[in-house]
Amino acid sequence: MGFFVKNLSFGYGENIILHNITLRANAGRFTVLLGKNGSGKSTLIKIMAGLLPCKAGYIEVLGRDIGKLTSTERAGLIGYLSQFHTPIFPFLVEEVVLTGRASYVFTVPGRKDLEKTDEAMDKVGITHLRKRPYTELSGGERQLVMVARVLAQEPEVILLDEPLSHLDFSNQARLLALIKDLVVKGLTVVAVLHDPNTAFFYGDDFLFMKDGFIIEPQKSKDPWDASTLTEVYDTRIETVPFRGRSLVMPI
Amino acid sequence: MKPFFKQVIFYALPLPLIVVSLFVGPSNVVNTSDIIDWLMRSISFSPVPDAQNKQMVEAIVLGVRLPRVLLAFSIGSALTVSGNSFQALFRNPLVSPDILGLSSGAAFGAAIALSFPLLPLQPMAFVFGLLAVGLSYFLALTRKGVSTVSLILGGIIVSGIFTALLTMVQFLTDPFKLQTIVHWTMGNLHNASWSKVRSSALPILFGIAWLFVMRWRMNVIALGDEETKAVGLNPEKEKLLILIPATFIASASVAVAGMIGMVGLAVPHMVRMMTGPDNTKTQPVSIAFGGSFLLIVDNFSRTITSFEIPIGIFTTLIGGPFFIYLLKKSLMVCREV
Repeated sequence: MGFFVKNLSFGYGENIILHNITLRANAGRFTVLLGKNGSGKSTLIKIMAGLLPCKAGYIEVLGRDIGKLTSTERAGLIGYLSQFHTPIFPFLVEEVVLTGRASYVFTVPGRKDLEKTDEAMDKVGITHLRKRPYTELSGGERQLVMVARVLAQEPEVILLDEPLSHLDFSNQARLLALIKDLVVKGLTVVAVLHDPNTAFFYGDDFLFMKDGFIIEPQKSKDPWDASTLTEVYDTRIETVPFRGRSLVMPI
Repeated sequence: MKPFFKQVIFYALPLPLIVVSLFVGPSNVVNTSDIIDWLMRSISFSPVPDAQNKQMVEAIVLGVRLPRVLLAFSIGSALTVSGNSFQALFRNPLVSPDILGLSSGAAFGAAIALSFPLLPLQPMAFVFGLLAVGLSYFLALTRKGVSTVSLILGGIIVSGIFTALLTMVQFLTDPFKLQTIVHWTMGNLHNASWSKVRSSALPILFGIAWLFVMRWRMNVIALGDEETKAVGLNPEKEKLLILIPATFIASASVAVAGMIGMVGLAVPHMVRMMTGPDNTKTQPVSIAFGGSFLLIVDNFSRTITSFEIPIGIFTTLIGGPFFIYLLKKSLMVCREV
């Protein structure tokens, strides 16, 4: 089991964001989390990444209780890509990627950390940007830098909060192919995606969220049944047949 | 070749500068040739013809100038390293010991210590310096974090409160002590002595060494709390590990030399302009260049006029316009307010 979340609730005071969530994400698979804006996806991902405290509920990652991990152990297991990152100082791309190695470094990074950084930049295809100031990059390029940072960390599970949000078409395809490749190599990936069609083509398993609840698609039916998506997104949806599957369009 | 050349300049600059600074001063009894003569004879252990002159040279060079040069250098390093660390820690290029209220807090603590003979100077400066930074931070803290502008506003408020308290101490204390306090708040090095060097050297060396060890982690912290936590460091713990030594060295400087304004803000920027923001480079350069900077300014302050201008006035006059320039520039660059 990659992730096992049981009876998780979360909120700020009166404002409850997650209601008694129970879910599983299989190890070695690409699980996609879908839902409307404000449905609690990002909060859920942050709690699963150990960045917000899990007060009410229980979370297991690769069979281990997340509440009992030290921060170094957690960083060795879980990589997390946030939705927004506002840079302040014009660090070079390679310097930003190198910070992914923090849990392996005592004072300053060593040769191995630099090698892992090079490898990560190479995998993501941003080696040509390495000497550029991070602040001068486009939103999509920054996103790729942060992905490389997660890879340099060498985690076993990766949580991505809208990894495609600023990427152009070709970079989207490239990042998705990279994710697939990581999953084939045994990593567990859970990602929030916005486009059901992308999710449909690349994802292995699907989770739907609405107003802080997990929506269970009826087992007998295909999760891509238009009625499930209509319920999740509160939008009328039409399906179009494509290569033996179906694409969805909001109308 | 070029980066190598740069490094040589930064790291080789301090030593010759310190030696040259020993020759600089308003004394018209001892001139440069006397000092060179004395130096050559001391090195070669040859007898000195004029014993009285030798005594005079030694008194001025070893008793007056050397402690002052060392004090100027160490305080310049301390304020620069402290300012650079605060900027990384708060992810805010506009903060410094002065802006965060640290200087006025430490000055207030030190003024109390100067007024009441039983209280120790260094610890009082440190405690109130830390209190001031803590207050500025908590004034600015919201659930969404700390914004650039609210931190500066917090610092201005805290700074104002401690300046008012400092004025109150000045008002209540007796006239003789008042003069000491006022002179000292202006920030000056003219009464530098070996005892001041001794009292500040240890805390400053220790704090700088600590922050030097933290240099790479400051890069991680500077990316933000969530990004720090995601890679396995505890941002709250790391911040304290930077905040405490940074406050320690800045308040140790305030305790011996008063408020030397703007060095902690402007010099880290000059350093970053030369090295880029990577703190594994800025920390060592801050030590070498920060010390050299204050030493050069101090050399001017004690020679440019027949009377001595307090160095704090000098640095503020240079740093003030520089801060305005930075503020303008960052308001254009940073979208985050």
